[in-house]
Order: sequence, then structure tokens, then C-alpha cells
Amino acid sequence: MSESTKAANAVVIERTFNAPVDLIWRLWTDAEEYPKWYGPNRFTVTVVEMDVRVGGRRLLYMMPPDKNMKIWTTGEYKEIMPNARLVYTDCPADEAGNVQSLAAMGMGDDTSPMITEVTVLLEAVDGRTKMVLTHAGIPADSPGASGWEQALDKMVAYAERSLVPDA
Amino acid sequence: MRGENDRLSQTFAALASSTRRAILTRLAEGEATVNELAEPFNMSLPAISKHIRVLERAGLITQGQKAQYRPCSLDVTPLQEVSQWTEQYRHIWETSFDRMDAYIEQLNSQEADKTEAKEQKHE
Repeated sequence: MSESTKAANAVVIERTFNAPVDLIWRLWTDAEEYPKWYGPNRFTVTVVEMDVRVGGRRLLYMMPPDKNMKIWTTGEYKEIMPNARLVYTDCPADEAGNVQSLAAMGMGDDTSPMITEVTVLLEAVDGRTKMVLTHAGIPADSPGASGWEQALDKMVAYAERSLVPDA
Repeated sequence: MRGENDRLSQTFAALASSTRRAILTRLAEGEATVNELAEPFNMSLPAISKHIRVLERAGLITQGQKAQYRPCSLDVTPLQEVSQWTEQYRHIWETSFDRMDAYIEQLNSQEADKTEAKEQKHE
């Protein structure tokens, strides 16, 4: 893992695929194609709803290999620029698609959900597709977001400094 | 696992406020009293105290017991867990993209077979 991608709050992954950009777009936005590649190893993914329009909803569940539980997630499409840019939120949910808040999980009275945000950038490069994925722990458009990443990075740098094991 | 995720949710909820992030940034420079923390904000002490309680509940800060000063200091453990959270997601995405790669290869070779079959027909 390179230092540049080691942001405190986000996962950033860059990959190049041996496929034209419209195919990659389809793999991200087609309800039948998406489960063929997305998910943790050996989990099965079932898409219940994938309404790829701004404000449209996603609802899906994942099952571990022994299929003894369903892990539901939901989200909303925020930005859609075919073959170029896709932004959606992703958060834990129940099977009706209700976002799970801390309160709903029996964690006090805070009703803020744990919302994460996924941004996919695609670019055609000589018949191949360069993709940059960013999965952020806190949506970029949350109130006062400007500068918060730097703040958190600073805090994590501090955390790492202060956790240097005693020699 | 469940407990870990719940705690992470709490950390993220606590971090989802610019005021609370500013408080944490200030504390990364060293401990401070509630009065000192309130200074840069146009906010009442009770309002600031409420933010501090949220941060405290999330385990992000601890408040000392020293008489009336009770300085706040940053606790970095939940921030470490935030890093771990991103690592879990990184693993899931990397696995997914490996699978995407394999799926694309499968589609590409099907396409190649089709083209070949067509060419043979034409011959």
C-alpha cells in the first residue's frame, strides 16, 4: 500500500481493466452484472433494487458461504455521468431498506446513520479503462466537509506518533 | 465483530460534525479545558459541552478529573479503528476487482470465440 492512498477516512484504489469504458460502466450499473463481481470472497450478492437515477435507491444483501445470514445495505445514487462518474451512498440497512442508525442498533439516542460514499471515476485509455474508486467513511458533502479530511489525517498522524511502541 | 462495527458507527457519527472535528484537531495539539475549546467557536459552554459528551461517548476524548479544570485530551484508539475499517473495505474492493478482471477475461474470450466461429462460417 502506498502512502498516497493511505488516507485516514477513505479507501482509494486505482485499477486498469482490459475492457472498454462502456462495459465497465455496465458492470457497475446493471443489476444483473453487479452481483457477478461485487462482494467479499465467496459471498453471494443479491440486488433487490438498483435504480440508477439521481436520487434513485440501491438495496441489496450479501450472504456468507453458509448462507446463515443476510447483510443488507442500501444507498442512494448521487451523481451519474455515464461512462465517466458514478457516486452513491452506502449504509447498513434492514430488509425494508431502512437505514440503520445507532439508536436502531440499540446504541443510545443518536439517530445519525453510518453513511459511507462510493465514487467511481472512469476514463478510456487506448481501449482499456482506468478506474479510480474512492470509498469514504463520511460523505464528502456532509456539513462543513471542507478541510475535514486534512483534520482527520492530522489526527491519525498524531495517533500514529503517539502509539509508537515503547522501546 | 458486531460490537466493533457498532463502535465504528459511533466514531463516524461523532466525526460527522465540523465542530467536533475542529475540537479533535485542537486536541491533537495538546489537552485543553472546555473553556479553551469553546473559545474559537461562537457557541455557549453548554453547547460545546454537549459536543464533548458525544466525543467522550465515542471514546475519542477523555476528560481529566483534576478539580475544576478537567482538561480534555484526545484518545486515538477509535481513530485507529477507523483506519482498520478502511482496510477491511480495501480488502473487499480488491477482491471484487480481481473478480471483475476475471469476469472481463471470460467475456473477452467468449467474444473471441464468437468472432472465430463467425469467421469459420464465412470461409
